[in-house]
Formats: sequence, C-alpha cells, structure tokens
Amino acid sequence: MTANPTDLALSGLTKSFGGTLAVDNVTLRISAGEMVALLGPSGCGKTTTLRMVAGLVQPTSGDVLIDGYRVTHIPVHRRNIGMLFQNYALFPHLTVAQNVAFGLQMRRVSRAEVASRVTTALRLVQLDPFAERLPSALSGGQQQRVALARAIVIEPSLLLLDEPLGALDKSLREAMQGEIRAIQKRLGITAVMVTHDQEEAMTMADRIVVMRGGVLEQVGTPEEVYSHPANRFVAGFLGASNFLRGSALGREGGEVVMRLDGGGLARVRAGAGPGGPLIAIRPEAVRLQPASAEAPVENGIPGTVEQVRYRGQSTHIHLRLDDGESFLAYLSNGDEAVPRQGFRPGDRMLASWSSASATMIADA
Amino acid sequence: MRGRLSGLGGFVTYTMAVLILLFVLAPLVVVVALSFSEAAFAVFPPVGFTFSWYETVLNDPEFQHSFLVSTLLALAAALTAFALGMPAAYALDRWRVPGGGAIEAMLLSPLILPILITGLALLQFMSMMRMMEASVNLFIGHVLITLPYLIRTITASLKQVDRSLEEAALTLGASPFTVFWRVTVPQILPGIAAGCLFAFMISFDDFPISFWLADVETMPLPIYLHSLMERVFDPSVAATSSLMIVTGVLAVLALEKLVGLRKAMGV
Repeated sequence: MTANPTDLALSGLTKSFGGTLAVDNVTLRISAGEMVALLGPSGCGKTTTLRMVAGLVQPTSGDVLIDGYRVTHIPVHRRNIGMLFQNYALFPHLTVAQNVAFGLQMRRVSRAEVASRVTTALRLVQLDPFAERLPSALSGGQQQRVALARAIVIEPSLLLLDEPLGALDKSLREAMQGEIRAIQKRLGITAVMVTHDQEEAMTMADRIVVMRGGVLEQVGTPEEVYSHPANRFVAGFLGASNFLRGSALGREGGEVVMRLDGGGLARVRAGAGPGGPLIAIRPEAVRLQPASAEAPVENGIPGTVEQVRYRGQSTHIHLRLDDGESFLAYLSNGDEAVPRQGFRPGDRMLASWSSASATMIADA
Repeated sequence: MRGRLSGLGGFVTYTMAVLILLFVLAPLVVVVALSFSEAAFAVFPPVGFTFSWYETVLNDPEFQHSFLVSTLLALAAALTAFALGMPAAYALDRWRVPGGGAIEAMLLSPLILPILITGLALLQFMSMMRMMEASVNLFIGHVLITLPYLIRTITASLKQVDRSLEEAALTLGASPFTVFWRVTVPQILPGIAAGCLFAFMISFDDFPISFWLADVETMPLPIYLHSLMERVFDPSVAATSSLMIVTGVLAVLALEKLVGLRKAMGV
C-alpha cells in the first residue's frame, strides 16, 4: 500500500456563498508527499477550501489541479480522494471490515483482493482484531483509525483531513496526531488538513497555511510561521505575542534601530520579518528584572506586574506597560537561572529581549 | 429519560398512562368480547363463548370480497404512495426546487383538508371526467390521502441522515446513485417502513374517501361494515371489526419484525 506521490495546486480558487466571499483567490502549490495544514479561526474559509479540493463544493472561479490535471469539474467520486471527517462518518450499518472494503468494492476490485487489502489496512491502524465489529462498538479514537484505514486502502491521490481529531480528548488526540502523521509519511501520501488548533498544525504539518477571511495570510514551515509571522494576526494566532509600535530611525550594522512609541530604542535584525511599524516579541523570549533606573534602555521596556499565573512548565507574568498596553512574559520553571519568586502584582519590572528574538511586522 | 420513575410524579405518570390505555382499549375490548358472544344480538356483556360468528363472517362471500378489496387497495396505495413520495421527499429535502415550499404544502394538504370534502371533490371530478371504474377511483383517492404520510416520514428521516456519511461514500468512489442505495436508504429504511405502515393502515381503515368512490362491485371493508350494521346488528359485525383489528396488529408486528418498531417510529 503505497501512494503514487501526487502534487496539488490551487489556482485563484474562489467561492462565494450568496455574494459573501468565503474563499478569496487562493493560490497554493502543495508538493508530492507533503502534509499541509490549513489553519485559521472558524469562518476563515479553510473548510470550504478543503471541500473544493475534495469536489464536495464547486468553486465560483479558479481551479484545482492534481498532478497538473485540472479536476475542477470532475465530480467527487472520480477524484480518488481519501477523506477523514470530524465525526468519522463510518457507515453505521456496516462492520469495520465492510466499511474499509467499501471504496474497493466501488472500484470493482476482486473479492479476494478486497479481503487481503482490508486486512493489510486494518493491520496498519492496529485494528485487525475488530474487523467484524460495528463502528458503534468502538471508541472515538478507534473509529477514526477505521476511517483512516478506509481512506488509505483505496490508495488515494490525496488524503484530506477535516478537523479529524476535534472530537477526541487531549491525550488521545496527541497520540493520534503522531499515528496519522507516521502513516502519511510512510505511505508518502500528499495530505491537506484543516484545523483550528495551532499545536496540531505545528506538530503534524510540513507547512502551515494561515487563513483569515478567505485569504491566505501566510504560508510557511511551522518554524517560519512561528518565528517570522507575516503580520499581527498570524503572530497572535500562533502562540502569543507582544506587540510594540515604533518607527524606524535607520540602519546600524545589519540592524534596524527603532524608536518605540512607549519610549526607548529597539534593535531588530534587518530582514527578520516583512517589515512594518510593529515589533513582535514572543513571551518566552522576554526576560524580567527589577526596574531600577527609569532611563530608557535598548530592547527593553518597563511595566507593572498585574498577574502571576503558575502554569506548571512555566510561569506567565502579565505586565501593564505605561502606555496601558499589556505585555506578557513566560518564565521557564525548569531554568534555574531564571528567578521565579518575588514577582508580585504591583512590582515594577523591566522587560527585555535580544535583538534576534524580535521581528518587524505589519499591523494587520 | 431512562429508568423508572418514582415518588409522587411516578405514581401520577403511571396512573395516567394506565387510564389513557384503558380509555383507548376499552371500546376495542368490548367489540372483541362481543364477537365471541352466543347471543343473536350484539348486547353487552356477552353470553357464552363461540367462534361461530367468525365462521359465518369468514365464509361470507361479501366479506371475503371486501377483505380482499381493502387489502389489495391498501397495499397498492401504500406502494404507489411510496413510489411517488420517496422521490418527492428526496427532491424537496435535497434539491433547491423552485416553489418547493408550495409543492410540499400541496402534497401535504390532504392532511389538513377535511377528507370527506376531498372525497366529494374527487367524486365530482371523476364523474365529470366520466371515470366510472370504482377500483381505479378508489386507488387514486387512497394514494392521494396516504401520500402525505409517506412524504412526512421520509422527509423527517432524510433530515436526520448524517450528510458526512454520504460525502464519505462519494469520496470513496461511489456514484450519487450508489450512495443513495447503499448509504442513504439503509439510514432512512425505518422511516420508509413506518410511512408504508401508516399508509397501509390509513387506506385499510378509510371510510370518508371510500364512502364516495366505492360501488357494490368494489366495496372496501369499512363500507361493507357500515352497510352490514344498517341491515343487522348481530355479533358478526363485531367479528368483522375484530378481524380488522387483527389485520392492523399483524401489520404492526410485521413492521416490528422487519425493522423494529422503536426505530421505525424514531423513538
């Protein structure tokens, strides 16, 4: 059971529902064997995009190309697609084995071959002992594994995953993330996943496509998208970020010097981020020390502690800056060098960061 | 809500249930009891015990004819109403049919309009059209009044169908037609069965339509029963009625055997 690696391209894909643009001119190329996650808040058009790839929704304009062939007007059942649904969508009146066999029967595969391929697929998801059960006798995680077996047994050109783990609890979800990813890699299937869970997108996908309002906001590897968000939306959607507004004064030795609106200077590596009036700093890159001198410092800003929240691995400290903006610092509880005690609401602190951990981004 | 009720609420609920059941069943019990009476007239309480009225009724060629007419009519009406109602319900639920709401209202209107008036209107229309064949007229009338039951139950079942199952089947390579037969129909089968049972019983029991459209040569059971009562009121009327009740019970039991009654009624 191995897939022929297939690439997928979306070209100017647009869908409007009664005048409202759900997906607006999406162009994207997905390489063979790659797993891409469409990530965004609900209503961002990620599901509609996935359904257009599947053929369950007809685009208003634009094209879907699989291996360079235009499939825009080919109906779903001739696209050779494996799809996982959030509610598993197993046929309740068929046994596990019959569910997995369904797609093969539609392809008029011989009885003997159906039996052997079903067994192989069920073995792959470790459910071969459950072949004769009805789906209702299985747990949620097992049901989704049956759905996975059913989707891959037909050797699909594409594997589409529509919030496949949304109905599972956290620990099971993490186990399934690893399992689905391992099988996808092993079979080399090109996969597109829809999720609103940024952690899921980052752990499972080769590349993340962040969407908002039907538009692509950023496309990149999890590291690129996290470390170099294109704009305020992406920085805020993937993890938390602090934003400081400022204006560029000039360049100095490969760094851009910015004057912060709240006072003080900041240095940002030139070319880190798309540029713009905002500096984004991840909370885990922030260091705190008691504020002593009120004199403006570089790469630092004073603030007052508002809340201290112990979160196990880390302690989250919420600061209020003098201009009223909030500023967040995550202090690792495993790092002996970081002082963890002595932060109390009302304390004056200086939050500082290194030039390398700041990114200049657009205010959008 | 599962499990037994207890306390005052439980007492009231169970008492009410028993009273309502008595209220519904008592008249039927009286009829069934009378059918075994040895008295020459239908008087309550029954006297003695005999099967002779059943013998009389079952050997009566008029009864045999009416029973056959009603059974065939009910079967034909239910099957035809299914054949018409299934595509209608599917189209109304799944496709954007222009004027779909109006069409649905029209198809369901026999539920709202007085059936006696519907029958009269049919009679006038049919005599205008010189349609003199009672069996055909009865068939048309019965399809008309049973169709809404099929449409209602099938539409209700279709709305409960998990659409992602159909989508999953499509992605697995099933054509829309195959999806309908292999995924949609198994899910709505209980609804179809319930609708057909309703249709059968409505037709088998129908008086107000048959009243206008029947003639001596094609006389459904309820009309026959009515004419029988006008002539004589002996326990054979009760026996005939009991046989109708038995037919209804058998139909329900058959449905229970086939798809399970709870499932069929959507409980």
